[in-house]
Amino acid sequence: MSFRQTLMVAGALTVLFIIYWQLGHPYFNANRLVMFLCVIILSGTILYYIGKANRGEEIYLRTIPGLNAVEEAVGRATEMGKPVLFIPGIVDMDQVETVAGVIVLGHVARLTARYETELEVPVARSIVMEAATEITKEAYLAEGRPDQYRNDMVHYLTDEQFAYAAGVDGIILRRKPAAIFYQGKFYAESLILAETGNSIGAIQVAGTGSPAQIPFFVTACDYTLIGEEFFAASAYLSQKPALLGSLKGQDLAKFVVMASVILVLILNAMYDLGWIVFDITKIFTVQ
Amino acid sequence: MFWKRQVPLAIVFIVGVLTLFGWFITHDTIRSFIEDDATQWYDVIASFAVILGALNLLKLQGQKVLRRKKDWQYSVLTILGFLLAFFAGFMFRGGHHITITNVGFSPEEVAQVISDKTNVEYEKILGGLKELPEGDEETLDKSYMRMSKAVTLAEELRQAGAEVNIRTEKWGSHLLSEGTLFKWMFDNVFTPLLATMFALLAFFVASASYRAFRIRNFEATLLLGAGIILMLGRVPIGSTISTWFVAYILVLILGIVIGSLLKNRIIALISIIGGLLLVTIAGTLSGWPIDKPAFLYLPKIQEWIYLYPNIAGMRAVMIGIALGMVGTSLRVILGIEKSFMGEK
Repeated sequence: MSFRQTLMVAGALTVLFIIYWQLGHPYFNANRLVMFLCVIILSGTILYYIGKANRGEEIYLRTIPGLNAVEEAVGRATEMGKPVLFIPGIVDMDQVETVAGVIVLGHVARLTARYETELEVPVARSIVMEAATEITKEAYLAEGRPDQYRNDMVHYLTDEQFAYAAGVDGIILRRKPAAIFYQGKFYAESLILAETGNSIGAIQVAGTGSPAQIPFFVTACDYTLIGEEFFAASAYLSQKPALLGSLKGQDLAKFVVMASVILVLILNAMYDLGWIVFDITKIFTVQ
Repeated sequence: MFWKRQVPLAIVFIVGVLTLFGWFITHDTIRSFIEDDATQWYDVIASFAVILGALNLLKLQGQKVLRRKKDWQYSVLTILGFLLAFFAGFMFRGGHHITITNVGFSPEEVAQVISDKTNVEYEKILGGLKELPEGDEETLDKSYMRMSKAVTLAEELRQAGAEVNIRTEKWGSHLLSEGTLFKWMFDNVFTPLLATMFALLAFFVASASYRAFRIRNFEATLLLGAGIILMLGRVPIGSTISTWFVAYILVLILGIVIGSLLKNRIIALISIIGGLLLVTIAGTLSGWPIDKPAFLYLPKIQEWIYLYPNIAGMRAVMIGIALGMVGTSLRVILGIEKSFMGEK
């Protein structure tokens, strides 16, 4: 869709929503109107940029060292003749971090297939095991190396957090992988895993959406994907226009959020000083 | 391909849109689907998937043992642990409780038998038995893993004149009840092992902190300074450190910075002496209060670092993460991102 067409669709949807609102908006939770509008605007922005990217517009993506290091890490493992270890977090597929981690696994598996390097993926959830098995198998097929794929590449260890950490630590110390990827949602086990990996001198690339674990990974790993970098991994590694477009949309949304933060800060300060009577924080408080 | 691609994508789209927009809808059916049904469906699927995980574990570890692969001994332990947990969960309950329905004519004798077998004070048991109202029952605190032991004690209590029953824990509740093999394993094997792993974190934090705090560049120095202030400010000794001591330290640091920036020892010396004099005069005039001025008091500084720069940084990261999540979810819901299903 062109910009004009997008505006027309957005305008039509807005008119429809206003009519619905005027009719008494049945079944709509009016307390969450602001959040609803935010979701719509954010989704609309992302979809608009996806459309733009699909039409061939070039999307600039800044260099993310952590993602550039993925190939470097697999290459190092290949040179050393040692395996690559991939940890997709400890939670199930109902968490978007795990989905993002499994997506990165697809790219890593493609590289290990290309370079004929051993890959091991211990998982903590059965559903993740199924998804990871499927994506790894497809990656080896896509690279034309189904003969390299083994059924025991992705294997289940345990659901229990620290039992899983103990199991992975055992694998790290016994097999001494040259590259370790931590991509997914982690809790307190993050440092136990990353420090063990560090102790054997493996090149480690971490990515997580758990803010509390980021400092641990930054300390113990060679590269860490912080915040949205982790979710941008798929787009960055695949360079697919649709995915890159969504990143551009996200960046614009980030700019809008930053502007909103500053605006709310100023308006709230003015309200506190008694210069205005309107409390802006009421609008932005999640109901 | 239809079942492996189109159907999952359709399910993801329908459930994703319903869950996303359901948050704004007040319709009861949709709300109950989002809040209860969808999560329960997931739990049901996950429960069945556990069987796949367990089978995968047994298959791979079994192959390792049969083919005598490297470190196969660990696999033997894994399989044994699995079988033992399976045995305790599905085949052997334990949890045999003895219930006294009537103390009889000699509560002293009954109390003596219980005291001998359970190592609980005789007087305490006797008091409890004497206070037992007519028609009420008393279940002994100790329960037995083996039926034969419970039967032996029951026989001895009957010989002492009491009327007793043996009650065995039901399947299912045996996972959480005292005296069962599963609970015993959980409390005495599993929990200590988990605690051991968790405790290792302390050592890893120490080694990671050492690496992070090594002064290599400006950021690491900043981290070191913030770390020291936070650690000192959060322990009792931090509140006993006078603000004036902190002021003297700051003057010395300032002197070092000036000296290294201007590369002039005299200016650095003058700044240090001037600063020290200034702090001494200010301290003398104000009577050296331990917590004034407040911006130099360690508990206050750590509170400020924790509440403002720290929270601001965390929020910035979280906003990025939230936008990334929304973007990824949207790509998955709309079928733009299909690589999680193995598609290139």
